[in-house]
Amino acid sequence: MFELTAQPIDGAALSARLRAPEAGALTIFEGRVRNHHLGQPVTQLEYEAFDEMAIREGEAIVGEAASMYPGAQVLCVHRTGTLQVGDVAVWIGVASAHRQAGFAACRHLIEELKLRLPIWKKEHHPDGAAEWVNCSVEATARPAGDDLHSRQSALPEVGAAGQAKLAKARVLLVGVGGLGCPAALYLVGAGIGRLTLVDGGKVERSNLHRQILYTTAETGSPKVLAAAARLRLHNPAVQISIQDGELTAGNARTLVAGHDVVLDGTDNFASRFLIHDACLALGVPLVQAAVHRFEGTLDVFQRGEGGCLHCLWLGRDPAALDTAGNCAGGPVFGPAVGVLGVMQAAEAIKQLLGLGGDAARQTRLVNLLDGSQLSVGRSARPDCPVCARVDRLRKMPAPVNTDRGLFVDAAGVRALGASAKVVYLTEPGEQPPAGLPGISAADLAALREFALQGPLVLACRYGVRSAALARMLRAEGMEAIFAESPRS
Amino acid sequence: MSSSRQIQIRFFAILREQAGCATVAVETGAPDATALYAELQERFPGLTFPVTLLRVSINENYAELTAPLAPGDRVVFIPPVAGG
Repeated sequence: MFELTAQPIDGAALSARLRAPEAGALTIFEGRVRNHHLGQPVTQLEYEAFDEMAIREGEAIVGEAASMYPGAQVLCVHRTGTLQVGDVAVWIGVASAHRQAGFAACRHLIEELKLRLPIWKKEHHPDGAAEWVNCSVEATARPAGDDLHSRQSALPEVGAAGQAKLAKARVLLVGVGGLGCPAALYLVGAGIGRLTLVDGGKVERSNLHRQILYTTAETGSPKVLAAAARLRLHNPAVQISIQDGELTAGNARTLVAGHDVVLDGTDNFASRFLIHDACLALGVPLVQAAVHRFEGTLDVFQRGEGGCLHCLWLGRDPAALDTAGNCAGGPVFGPAVGVLGVMQAAEAIKQLLGLGGDAARQTRLVNLLDGSQLSVGRSARPDCPVCARVDRLRKMPAPVNTDRGLFVDAAGVRALGASAKVVYLTEPGEQPPAGLPGISAADLAALREFALQGPLVLACRYGVRSAALARMLRAEGMEAIFAESPRS
Repeated sequence: MSSSRQIQIRFFAILREQAGCATVAVETGAPDATALYAELQERFPGLTFPVTLLRVSINENYAELTAPLAPGDRVVFIPPVAGG
């Protein structure tokens, strides 16, 4: 539960609300007004909140913590108004079965509340001067996290220009397990712009020997939530987006679209092919790793170079590969997935910086038991049914997978003729605007049906998803696909 | 495509002080929040806080500064927060 109050906070009364016979730990964090900030004496603080949104955001944060720490009971209260030195500004209490979850949840809650609540404080000094904290333009003019990356941008291969490229980069990581945990830490440490995490699993004790983003306190938590919390602490300059669910045939391309590079940290062949095919269709570089016990392989797939995953496994039965190649549930040497995950991060960062070299034309094999490493050259098979087809589509004279003429306005729709249809893509729970047929953005099969019937114009609330899906259908070879210019 | 429509704006903290008011309704053809903020800066010369340091909420949800605006949207520009 989250509350805002203009009254003094009574910690004892709040603690009493968290009594539960099954809770062996009550962990409390109090944020108090101190008499100094950045070397300046402070006499009082004035708190201002955007109430409706602060309550909504606060409740969302408490809800996330409840799912990360199953069984924990959470109460957070934030003050508004004028506070004196020593007054309690924020009170967080967590009642949990054991201390680990209590401390971890408290820490998580205060960090998220400080980052996300639309609450501001004005500092008053003894000389009568006052200023809004974090809002001095001089103090915020420095790019966030600047010195976080100085030892990296000092590399001549990176430099200020490379660091700026990284800060704009959008990276997708599918699977936040043994490979994904170390990969994510290095990507976030490198200062990429946005990291999207996709994983529908929960933190399990038997995986902690290699899934180094998590602790025993998060057992049972959705992995993406625990990972996002840990990664935000590591580098607050990086935006972390999450999807608490698996990548499927229905959402693969939508998830991949809009990313500059993809890392596959999944543990089965079915997912590997799905991710690979979406990346191939959209032309997004993919860094894939797989580990068996002490050994691993690393591949970078880039359209038009070194062949594709189908070239590698042509003629093999995918079901048999899955039975033989899955490491889910099997024994695995922690450092082996660690090394391969870090190598994935290295290749992804190199792709973003244009330092990939010939990584996309070889498979690298690493054996942590005997210490050997080997690179095997890779090339496209002319008889590959998949990448050869994609290549044909790309070489077609008509513009395929380009933005030429992608966006149309109302006049453009009329110009497409009477058979042209406008379809509105809905999010779960969203209704289309009056007069427009709606279709779920997730229902790709229905969308393709529409696309086969004649010119199709996709619309949506912000114009982002419609453009992404229009590009995707064009990449599949459909030409009469358009996106409505952003609605206004 | 952008025709004029009414947008509700609330200012908090440093922006409220710089604008000199807490709420304002404007008729605007601004396609997105960035353009809207530029218009507001013309109307309120004291509003000097740089748009590059702002986040925006539309109808009480965090949104992109480039997200399109619809008639009747409630827009709040959010300067760097400092809870706790």
